[in-house]
Amino acid sequence: MTTAPGSDRSDGLRLSGISKVLGGRTIVEKMELQVSPGELLCLLGPSGCGKTTTLRMIGGFLNPDAGRLTINGVDHTHSKPERRPTAMVFQNYALWPHMSVAKNIGFGLKVRKLSADKIRQKVDWALDLLGLQHHRETMPARISGGEQQRVALARALVLEPEVLLMDEPLSNLDAKLRVQVRETIREIQQRLGITTVFVTHDQEEALSIADRIAVMNNGRIEQLAAPAELYARPRTTFVAGFIGTMNTLDVGPAGGGVPLDDGALLPCDTFSGAAGDVCWIRPEDLQITEADHAGSVRAVVLRVIPRGHYREVLLQSHGSTLRAFTDGEPDVEQIVGLRATNALVYADDALVQDDEPARPGRAVRAVADSGDRG
Amino acid sequence: MTATDTAPAAPAAPDKPVTPSSGARSPRRWSMLFMASPPVLLVLVFVGIPIVIGIAFTLGYTGGLNSIASMLSVSVYTANGWMPSLAAYGNVLSSERFRSDLGVTIWVTVLTVAIVLVLAWCIALYARLSGGRLGKMLSGIAIIPLFIPVVIGAYAIRQFYLNTGFLVSLGRQFGIQLPSWSYHTPGIVIGQVWVSLPFAVLLISSGLAAVPNALIDAARDAGASLGRSVWSVMVPMTTIPTVIVATFTAVGVMGSFTVPYMIGPTSPNMLGVTLQATFVAYLRPQDAQVIAVVLFVLAAGIGALYVWANARASRSSAVQL
Repeated sequence: MTTAPGSDRSDGLRLSGISKVLGGRTIVEKMELQVSPGELLCLLGPSGCGKTTTLRMIGGFLNPDAGRLTINGVDHTHSKPERRPTAMVFQNYALWPHMSVAKNIGFGLKVRKLSADKIRQKVDWALDLLGLQHHRETMPARISGGEQQRVALARALVLEPEVLLMDEPLSNLDAKLRVQVRETIREIQQRLGITTVFVTHDQEEALSIADRIAVMNNGRIEQLAAPAELYARPRTTFVAGFIGTMNTLDVGPAGGGVPLDDGALLPCDTFSGAAGDVCWIRPEDLQITEADHAGSVRAVVLRVIPRGHYREVLLQSHGSTLRAFTDGEPDVEQIVGLRATNALVYADDALVQDDEPARPGRAVRAVADSGDRG
Repeated sequence: MTATDTAPAAPAAPDKPVTPSSGARSPRRWSMLFMASPPVLLVLVFVGIPIVIGIAFTLGYTGGLNSIASMLSVSVYTANGWMPSLAAYGNVLSSERFRSDLGVTIWVTVLTVAIVLVLAWCIALYARLSGGRLGKMLSGIAIIPLFIPVVIGAYAIRQFYLNTGFLVSLGRQFGIQLPSWSYHTPGIVIGQVWVSLPFAVLLISSGLAAVPNALIDAARDAGASLGRSVWSVMVPMTTIPTVIVATFTAVGVMGSFTVPYMIGPTSPNMLGVTLQATFVAYLRPQDAQVIAVVLFVLAAGIGALYVWANARASRSSAVQL
């Protein structure tokens, strides 16, 4: 371990040009990433995109083939896992089945040769923090999945790591429990101000828990941004397709609208850019109006899916199938009007982003209206 | 409830309530017992009865089914009416030869179990942690003796370690006088290790393979060295296979005949060889059966350990479920 020149203790986690090849395939390619102290960063991506490999390199379970990894300015590129100031929460909890909850939590402290009193004190702190005091002497197999996950978190936190690593920690929990444990993790992470890298393939989980999200694809970071930014302005078609739902129209903006399959224009208020190959529209950016409403195109309702406080509506309009979210209650086969408030324009899979969002003029809307009536 | 769920049942007599165990399921229980009876009867007839008759013979009941064995004996101790006699036990247990043979048997058993466990653990652990070609090769080589008949393996070992064998001859080429282990107790241990190692490697390898990588990674992540991770995680989680290997090896070695007969010295040797000689050469079937009972008691003690390990494994799996 060496201290990187020009770095200080408040550097957080820094990955510089990290690469990893496994079985002849590049899993992680020249990754540049910096996680600030106290930040919770999500590595999000589909299976095989390299997110877990990246996490295992940070934890020291895999050695990078190239690049440098520092934690608070100290080089840990080739340190063994037991020499790193990190602690990991594993996907399957990885609790030792032959040790009680308290022994699981205290194992790392025992390895560090702390006194029995100190170990008891710290284990009690962790048990209190995660609300597990009543399971102190229980064996892991006798507690629920959610409780096992909290034990795993307590085991990691009790070591007071500089960086907490979480490898899809909620993937084995049912939907309701996942939300509860997710909130617990976020609350504790913020309270302790611990730098955290959280791996998940669940976009909803990432959007709700992270300070920033790094969306990975084929071993590279496609976009690193705050959740709101990532959702509103996905920089590539991959990110746009991966985060949330999208109406993908493989045609660029024309005449101030988005041409549908038969050439009729779907009127749109704003575009991210003036010209591009494709226009993608979020379902919530599609507005359902009355049929023949000015500045709209006609559509027929194919299906209405109740989603609790809103409805997801599948529509057919001029040969194109579109998806919209609405608070209204349209009927199946009802004729409605449809317009878009915003469209993301991509050229060569990259977001076309003008400084000022392109706004079509009045003439454009007139063309759309007349096209529809024709 | 649908119409097909149950047929209308006749009301049960008030003084004799119908219960699942005493009523409708009884014929089924009897039929299941009947199906299981052939193997049970087979064990009773071919194992249970000979054991009882054998033990009776050692206690001086020389009549009935033991009369032929009594006729073949150069001497037998007989019970005084219904009172059993322990004279045969006194005769065998006080014999100097029996005691030294018992000592050799216990010594060879303990040493073999220890060596087999250490070797099997080293090979299985190396294969588990390295995951490389050498580890797989070692595991493969270790199970080869499974496919070689014991008598051939024992003959090869005897020839290899003979005074005129390969090892001693090789040593002489370099001016070194190596010991000849054939016809000596160390030769028996080598033979026993050869026979027992494959099964031990197979069982401990499967035990170690069942320890998930994440548990080892979690220990490393908590700050434990590889050695500490093995000691604190892998060893406790492989206790049951280790106990099973130890008990099976111990019972197998204790009752072995071929290896000590072919490789071991004339005397002292293991009890299996002594038992055979007592029966065939000295024509003392009663003494031979006393030796068999002693071996049986020792094996039963080891078997109790195996039962305990299995019961513990069952309890653990019940908790997992």
